[in-house]
Amino acid sequence: MLIAITAGIASVLPIVTGENPYVIGVMISVLMMAALSSAWNILGGYAGQYSFGHAAYFGAGAYTTMILISKFNFNPLVSIVAGIIAACIIALITGSIVFRLRGHYFGLASIAVAEIVRLSALNFDFTGGAQGILLSDVSLWGLDLNSKNPFYYGMLLVLVVTLGITLYLRTSKTGFYLQAIREDQDAAASLGINLSFYKNKALLISAALTSVLGSLYAVYIRFIDTSAVLDLRLSIEIILTAIIGGVGTLWGPVLGAVLLVPLAELLRSNVIGDALVKHGIVSETSGLGVFLKENLAHAHVLVYGIITVLCILYLPKGILGLFRRAK
Amino acid sequence: MIGHILHINHVSKHFGGNVAVSDISFSVDEKQIVGLIGPNGAGKTTLFNCITGFIHVTSGDIIFDNKKINKLRPDEVCRMGMARTWQRVKPLGSLTVLENVMIGAFSITNAAREAEEIAIEQLDSVGLTDYAKKTAGSLSIGLKKKLELARVLATRPKMLLLDEICGGLNHTETDGILVIIREVRNKGATIVFIEHDMKAVTAICDWIVVLNSGEKLAEGTPEDITKNPEVIAAYLGGGQNA
Repeated sequence: MLIAITAGIASVLPIVTGENPYVIGVMISVLMMAALSSAWNILGGYAGQYSFGHAAYFGAGAYTTMILISKFNFNPLVSIVAGIIAACIIALITGSIVFRLRGHYFGLASIAVAEIVRLSALNFDFTGGAQGILLSDVSLWGLDLNSKNPFYYGMLLVLVVTLGITLYLRTSKTGFYLQAIREDQDAAASLGINLSFYKNKALLISAALTSVLGSLYAVYIRFIDTSAVLDLRLSIEIILTAIIGGVGTLWGPVLGAVLLVPLAELLRSNVIGDALVKHGIVSETSGLGVFLKENLAHAHVLVYGIITVLCILYLPKGILGLFRRAK
Repeated sequence: MIGHILHINHVSKHFGGNVAVSDISFSVDEKQIVGLIGPNGAGKTTLFNCITGFIHVTSGDIIFDNKKINKLRPDEVCRMGMARTWQRVKPLGSLTVLENVMIGAFSITNAAREAEEIAIEQLDSVGLTDYAKKTAGSLSIGLKKKLELARVLATRPKMLLLDEICGGLNHTETDGILVIIREVRNKGATIVFIEHDMKAVTAICDWIVVLNSGEKLAEGTPEDITKNPEVIAAYLGGGQNA
């Protein structure tokens, strides 16, 4: 119900904001991170398997789609499906290896697999190596793919689907089983739960959704390289968004994205520093003014990091945890 | 062999050079309550772990319901109708009591509604109905043990392995658990339980198997066992070395 209302509000937002390309660009980033983080949450939040390598599935979608469209002139939708298949193949291989490991070892192994994928993409010819892949022209059903709107609605659709799946899982046998695995794997196994089957199921769902977002992103930006779609930084950003919003909750990852993505954007563009100087609160030539205008703009990563640390220290259950009373 | 639901046939388990269980054989008849006793380190829990698939035997066979189960995974063993509880309770801490029991019930149904009905009924049978909405982690040890019992019972087991289900409980709580165990047996399940409380064991068991240092020391009726000089020396009375 809440999903439908939110989707309704979100779908008219571009019209309300007057289709300002910059604002829509930020909103696309918010929707993408919300969906990515929600997809990760199915595996990390519900099944308790913290994957530090989700960039691999994002990249698998992005690269497959870009290669098929740019080199073989595939239909974008078909190439998105191909991206899902590629991501699922990587997920199955990953799952069969790393799900034997528990706890921290699973996390470390997931990084290793993602790095293997990244280094492969960096060194193979068909992935464009370090140059990446550039897409000059793409079309689908006469949609204006130069405009940002199709991608806004595309991301929104994937987010709604992801939340829908999460909601369904929460009330189904699979969802209960995933949570049992998160809480205690031995207890889960002793109650008849096939651990590797359900972990792989969660990973496949999560990887498939993540790859669709990678495909959309690639066609939206029209350029990808390993640092854009396969970097460890992306994997970590996905996790932080979920953790800060609230792991293992339906809305936590969405909340995390709504707060963090615009915050990162504000810090990056240094809106706060600029405003303080502009309104004469801080003189442009004073030490503080120079600091705000010059240094803070470069320090947005630091500020982002500090906020993250504070959240983890004081809000271990995420921001959503604040509003939930203990049972 | 007819009537034997569980048959332990020359089972050994080595951890490296350490022999935890050595050439143990015994059988359990249907609807029996069998006590597995012995001093610490006798190999009781190791034997449970072998039977339920958490570790695999080094040699020997475990036959349950006429099928060899020594190579099966824990979840497969459970779905065959053998459920266990844990010496150190393993509640699914952040889930509610009801959800914990529902997860047990999901091994016999795919529908959430049906699982919930089974869980509600099972909670009622162990007297945890009032705690259904509490998180499992917040319960006292006595209630956690009852929860473990309700959770495995929701898998509708033919056979139940209870690992010190009365450990850490007071007399009233122990009596409550024993009443439930008897009811479960009367409904047709077979029970093997590890227990240190000899009063509980002799009160409820039809048959007792005594382990010592990984080997079977004796087996028999509670009367025989409590009179067996070897058992008394090794376990009950402490013997001459005490």
